[in-house]
Amino acid sequence: MMTPLFKYGFFGEEFSLLVAFVLGVGFGFFLERAGFGSARKLAAQFYLYDMSVFKVMFTAIVTAMLGVTYLGWLGWLDLDLVYLVPTHLGPQVVGGLVLGVGFVVGGYCPGTSVAALATGRFDAMLYALGIFAGTFAYAQVYPAIQGFVNANPMGQVTLPEVFELPWGLVVFVVVIIAVLGFWGATLVERRFRSEP
Amino acid sequence: MRLPQLTLNQKLGAAALALGALALASQPHRGPFVKLDARELALVVEQEVDHVTPAELAAWIVEGRADYRLIDLRTAGEFERYHIPTAENAPLSALADYPLQRNEKIVLYSEGGIHAAQAWLLLRAQGYSGAYTVLGGLDGWKDEVLFPALPADAGPKQRARFERAAAVARFFGGEARADGTPAASAASVELPKLVSPAGPAQPVATGAPRKKKKEGC
Repeated sequence: MMTPLFKYGFFGEEFSLLVAFVLGVGFGFFLERAGFGSARKLAAQFYLYDMSVFKVMFTAIVTAMLGVTYLGWLGWLDLDLVYLVPTHLGPQVVGGLVLGVGFVVGGYCPGTSVAALATGRFDAMLYALGIFAGTFAYAQVYPAIQGFVNANPMGQVTLPEVFELPWGLVVFVVVIIAVLGFWGATLVERRFRSEP
Repeated sequence: MRLPQLTLNQKLGAAALALGALALASQPHRGPFVKLDARELALVVEQEVDHVTPAELAAWIVEGRADYRLIDLRTAGEFERYHIPTAENAPLSALADYPLQRNEKIVLYSEGGIHAAQAWLLLRAQGYSGAYTVLGGLDGWKDEVLFPALPADAGPKQRARFERAAAVARFFGGEARADGTPAASAASVELPKLVSPAGPAQPVATGAPRKKKKEGC
């Protein structure tokens, strides 16, 4: 979020840490306010009676996508300057599944666990220890799995490039998928809400 | 007026759909056309912040810095015969399609300095704000780094600086000359064999910044 300003020297290292702190506290505050500081909220996602997590993620995707598209269209944002995490399809699918298992078992994702830690929840403290243990274990086995981690590199690619479709069409299709997803999620909630 | 009967979620959904439909016509990436701030570019050149000196570049290589991309604009044949260590070969004609990032420090050099300066202007015009040239090009590199010469009337300070330059020259396989030979003739001296110096590793050719970023929830 502050990368372009930092990169072009609008402010220095110390001030960037301050900005990061303010942004981080704001992020955590709104996570907590939205109820994501509780593992119950995230567990509810997997029991399908509260699809908030799904909706939040899709809202974030659509908001950011539309924002970036229009800012680029207006010429206010140079999309070539936006850093993209390079795609490694196979390893990232496996990594996503590992993260998903931790998500289901622990009831937090890494960000919400920190917010829950700040409010003093014991399960979040245990979860944070798990993060450190997992990071340590990963560092230990990294030499053995290095080849797989760097397998099938696709570079910094976007969906329009992969499918060779116009940018605007992909934006429109993703919006339709999101709206349909919201509608479907609401139906699922109604179906499962009475049961627990 | 039927709109108020919609719930907030339905209104937001409708707004997203409308914005998405409008985005069908969007052109978020700029095309090959560029806008040029002539005054800014002139200022950059005048203040001499558009280039690095061969000595600075040599220091970066010795230190093993990896925060720059060194681009050799000459032909592949010339590149094969000799190039500055850590350089990548991208002939001027291929530069437009060469994978460079706009936020990278890009250092350009050619035989003299003219092609590099022209490539610099092309890159700057396309928004590569971190583009630089090597002052004097490969000729400057030879005179200043590979075969530095000590002027005949050098004082002790100059001699000390020359000793350092001589060490750097040996690092790159060149040879310092203390006999006061004019630096210009250095270009005719045989160039060192193309061996990468022992110290720094060759930079990875991928354009991706190596810094990892954490994202997500």
